[in-house]
Amino acid sequence: MNKWLAPLLVALVCAAASHAAVLHFAPSVIMGRALDKMAARGTPVNGFSLGPRTTPQTQTVVRPSPDMAYSACLFDLAKAPRGLRVRMNATPGYASLSFFDARTNNFLTVRGNGETREVILLPPGSSTTVPDTAVAPSTTGVILIRRLAPTAQDYAKVTELAREDGCDAI
Amino acid sequence: MRKVLVYLSAALIGTGIGAWSALDMAGLIAGDRRTGAGIDIGGWVGDLSVGSADADPYLRARIARHGLLALAKSEAIYFTRDRDDAGTPFSEQCRYRLSGEGQPALWWSITLYDDRSFLPDNTDGALSFDASGADGKPWSVTISPARPADGSPWISSRNAGRFDLTMRIYVPDAGVLERPAEMIHPPKVEKLDCAGGAG
Repeated sequence: MNKWLAPLLVALVCAAASHAAVLHFAPSVIMGRALDKMAARGTPVNGFSLGPRTTPQTQTVVRPSPDMAYSACLFDLAKAPRGLRVRMNATPGYASLSFFDARTNNFLTVRGNGETREVILLPPGSSTTVPDTAVAPSTTGVILIRRLAPTAQDYAKVTELAREDGCDAI
Repeated sequence: MRKVLVYLSAALIGTGIGAWSALDMAGLIAGDRRTGAGIDIGGWVGDLSVGSADADPYLRARIARHGLLALAKSEAIYFTRDRDDAGTPFSEQCRYRLSGEGQPALWWSITLYDDRSFLPDNTDGALSFDASGADGKPWSVTISPARPADGSPWISSRNAGRFDLTMRIYVPDAGVLERPAEMIHPPKVEKLDCAGGAG
């Protein structure tokens, strides 16, 4: 029995380590793949792009809502060391501006409430006390604008509004 | 040499078991596609720590796989359901009646996803049902692979296989996050019939 104890302990340690590693790395691996997929489909870095109306043929990530119009900006603060000025144009009805880091955390959401919203996004490690400014937990991630657009007519209206969105290096 | 092989085997087996158990418990492999397991309201399962840095590692990994870019609870809450009122998993071989009333929120919707957590591969243009269709009244929708002959509200399950439903509740009213089971009205899902008597 004793001769198996040490190998058993080795197996247990390896099991615990691999279990923890999978849980730790899975979100960033999955997020990384999603960001690559979005980039391959033309989502710009440090710039917003309104995606096509969500259908089974245009979806890029799991569980998209077909009732929302999505604008996306892949942020890379290594290319914007002074930060990004992020702007969501005023929208009637529901609209939100949400920020996700490289580990999938939704670290900031700003609701539109019918008005234009602007946020300055600073690189990790920055400090600020200025209102409407946020420090990103990671250098890369994605910023999403969601606008309620259940019909093709609603989506057409969003197409016009989204022209005034911005995700620009300062 | 024999000892080295024993220890190496132990390491490999342990690593494999550890990795597999993590993948399974976090919903990263086939099977449970629910986006959370924190609360169950009438068969609709959700977790209010979705999108939050406070989410535990299992939920974070589950959301990354089945609900990437989900919003935090202050903005939206999500519930998933993968079986009917009798407890039988959904199938595109069957027709269902999905019914309910409004939700305490700015807006809500119910969307059907296939067994890979994507919108089903069809061009039927009937992917979801939302608050605008309910217009504040009790509502009823058919879920089936073919459009109902009477033209009534419909969600298409064509090419969805073993599908599930996600209910999104945007900007929940005050009190919902503290007392979700009291305030949310879980829609019912009744199986009507199945093709060839299946199910």
